[in-house]
Amino acid sequence: MKSVSPIRCFSQGLFVALFWLGVWQASSMLVDKPVLFASPFDTLRALGALLPTEEYWLSILGSLWRVALGFFLALAMGLLLGSLSFRFSGVQVLISPLLTMIKTVPVASFIILILVWCGSDALTVIVCLLIVLPQIYFATLNGLQSSDRELLEMARVFRVPGGRVVWLIYRPALMPYLLVACASGLGMAWKAGIAAEVIGNPANSIGEQLYLAKIYMATAELFAWTLTVVLLSTLFEKLVMNLLRRVGG
Amino acid sequence: MDIQIQGLYHSFGEKQLFQNYKLCLREGGVYGLTAPSGRGKTTLLRILLGLLSPDRGSVTPKVHYSAVFQTDRLLPGQNALEQLLFVRGGGRGEREECRRFLRELLPEDSLLQPVEELSGGMQRRVAIARALWAESDCVLMDEPFTGLDEESLHRSADFILEHLQGRTLLLSTHQKELLQAYPITWVRLPEQGFIDSVLP
Repeated sequence: MKSVSPIRCFSQGLFVALFWLGVWQASSMLVDKPVLFASPFDTLRALGALLPTEEYWLSILGSLWRVALGFFLALAMGLLLGSLSFRFSGVQVLISPLLTMIKTVPVASFIILILVWCGSDALTVIVCLLIVLPQIYFATLNGLQSSDRELLEMARVFRVPGGRVVWLIYRPALMPYLLVACASGLGMAWKAGIAAEVIGNPANSIGEQLYLAKIYMATAELFAWTLTVVLLSTLFEKLVMNLLRRVGG
Repeated sequence: MDIQIQGLYHSFGEKQLFQNYKLCLREGGVYGLTAPSGRGKTTLLRILLGLLSPDRGSVTPKVHYSAVFQTDRLLPGQNALEQLLFVRGGGRGEREECRRFLRELLPEDSLLQPVEELSGGMQRRVAIARALWAESDCVLMDEPFTGLDEESLHRSADFILEHLQGRTLLLSTHQKELLQAYPITWVRLPEQGFIDSVLP
């Protein structure tokens, strides 16, 4: 890979950002109906109005809490089930079809079902869990299966204790798979989680705010909330990925 | 304890490598295994290690082995010191001891580099040191000197003999002529047991 100087990288990024902001602004001027398409300025103004309100921050906290809880539950369960499936082929035979099913059933079907069964508060958490779980599960299974057989054989000959084998042979094999799954899982958790909130309307949620914005045709606010979700999801992803890299090496 | 191989039969497809093969490794003995390639050197070592079940025959008693494999089998991303501590130890005292141990075979500044950054010959020496550092009753080495220049070969051979500490050693090599100066008992693999359908 060619190395690019940081200054060049930054100016390039700035140019790209300005270009697309320009496209956004031009499109909104072309449409010229703020109710249908908010301009960057309208969006920023709406965001500025939201920032000092308690509602804004409570909604963010509520959604963040639910998405994070769903994601980390999925991470823990996926690692556990994936490891068990790797170790005991019977477990894999039994639960793989279930996870394949969860992966293929449309999110909307889940949302409706869970809304009926569990109500709107648990909805976001469970939807995030269901979206991320198969990703983590299959990544764990495939990652562990990719462990170097020759190294495992070596460890067996030398009678190396299990904990050391897990840490120095299985973990390094697992990490690349897990990091990819987490990165894509985080993005999907936010998208599906917010969608679930729009349908379930739990109190203190970004989804509820989006829903209200739709009802009042407050397009600028809709854009402002969307911007918030994008920023939140990007920040959260960076944070979690850093954490995982630190823990997992 | 002497290691007895008795009534060993093993074949790969048409190729009968061992037919009623017998071998006794006396405790503390130093044995060299030499034969043209394809004659079953690696197979015999893998049977001893318990990684391959022979068609028939027995290896008794079950003892603890350490080994240099045909490939180095080092943990990626870890330095030489960690390779050794992986198979034995981790306490502070052992760490220092391990460092001294490795210094006899490798330059000091190479010990803390990830092994990928070492030359092939240095990686080989790490694998040799690991086999001797580990606790075992018998050390098996599959072509330990491949990729080593003559000076490293002699240094490694001296190091091996010095650190055997009463353990039995069986090493396979195709460089027998370079090892004439060492007190090695040479073991041959059976030629009569070798039936190749291609031969007349």
